[in-house]
Amino acid sequence: MALHLINRSPQAEAAYRDAGALFVEGDDLLLIEDACYAALPAAADLLTPFRGRVAVLDEDLQARGLSGRVDARVTIVDMTGFVTLTEKHDSAMSWF
Amino acid sequence: MTPSQSLAQDLAELDLIVVLRHAPHGSQWVREGLDVALVAAAFGKRVALLFQGDGVLSLLTGQQAGPLGQKGTHPQMAMLEMYDIETLWVSGSALAQRGLMPDDLMLPVRVMDVEDCRAVAHAQLPTLVF
Amino acid sequence: MALTYALLVQGAPYTHQAALSALRFGRAVVERGHRLKTVFFYHDGVHNASALMTPPQDEVHLAEGWRSLHRGQGTELLVCVAAGLRRGLLDEGEASRHGQIASNVAPPFELTGLGQLLDAMEHHDRMLTFSP
Repeated sequence: MALHLINRSPQAEAAYRDAGALFVEGDDLLLIEDACYAALPAAADLLTPFRGRVAVLDEDLQARGLSGRVDARVTIVDMTGFVTLTEKHDSAMSWF
Repeated sequence: MTPSQSLAQDLAELDLIVVLRHAPHGSQWVREGLDVALVAAAFGKRVALLFQGDGVLSLLTGQQAGPLGQKGTHPQMAMLEMYDIETLWVSGSALAQRGLMPDDLMLPVRVMDVEDCRAVAHAQLPTLVF
Repeated sequence: MALTYALLVQGAPYTHQAALSALRFGRAVVERGHRLKTVFFYHDGVHNASALMTPPQDEVHLAEGWRSLHRGQGTELLVCVAAGLRRGLLDEGEASRHGQIASNVAPPFELTGLGQLLDAMEHHDRMLTFSP
């Protein structure tokens, strides 16, 4: 199964839509860079296609002042957790 | 043969999927994505192109070079057949959102619905997104 | 089990976060005991290879970061020649071939073709893309 990376803010809805079209059971989504803003509860609708398999990169959250603001359904991972996700999945796709 | 059977057949024969998601002319994404597809084909890889979002606009008929002679990407599109890249998938919802029909496109394509995209994802082929 | 990794970097340095994210990820890959075999610079990512990159001293030096991965791991630092030439990234050979007065790509960065990107995809266990 695949790991999907999104790095664009929720304003770039197309990245979420196009990733969602190729997201299947067993895939994971990791939000990095400006996609951290999609981890806020207000953006929950955008993450519906990813069926609860959503993580966000902690260091990018912290840099943006978002620690403590993350939706409870989104998992927070550190850089090692990012690498672990790539160990688990044979392939990765980046949506930008 | 049903369309879904022919998609399964395409998927079984492919080495690489290149996804194009950006509009032509305004940025270099389509051109450099197509370059990867063409080089892969020249190396004997069997390549499919998936056009999503604004990427479908790169197939629009009637495109021209820009006023400063910028080549655009339509000449590369015309080369796809010569490189045996004939598996062209276009997101049906992306076309609909832009008020376009397959007849508006310069090459014959397969219009993909949600289930088709799911089948592509399940095939787990090497994929590069531009 | 140790895996081999390739990265495709498409973001210009100091413009978008992509190159920084890729370097951070590359270091974490190595810290986890994996091998970072290839970094391929494409699109605006080719600017990461500029030998003339001169950031202020209190900012991370991206080109130096890539070079240190090469020193530590033997990571190949490959720059797409077509994307590089268009954007003014030339090694000595290309500069002299095109009659340019200077060059700005030096080892361990290497100008190379897109075939090398496809090779990296085929031969390494993982390929991650970092784009702007």
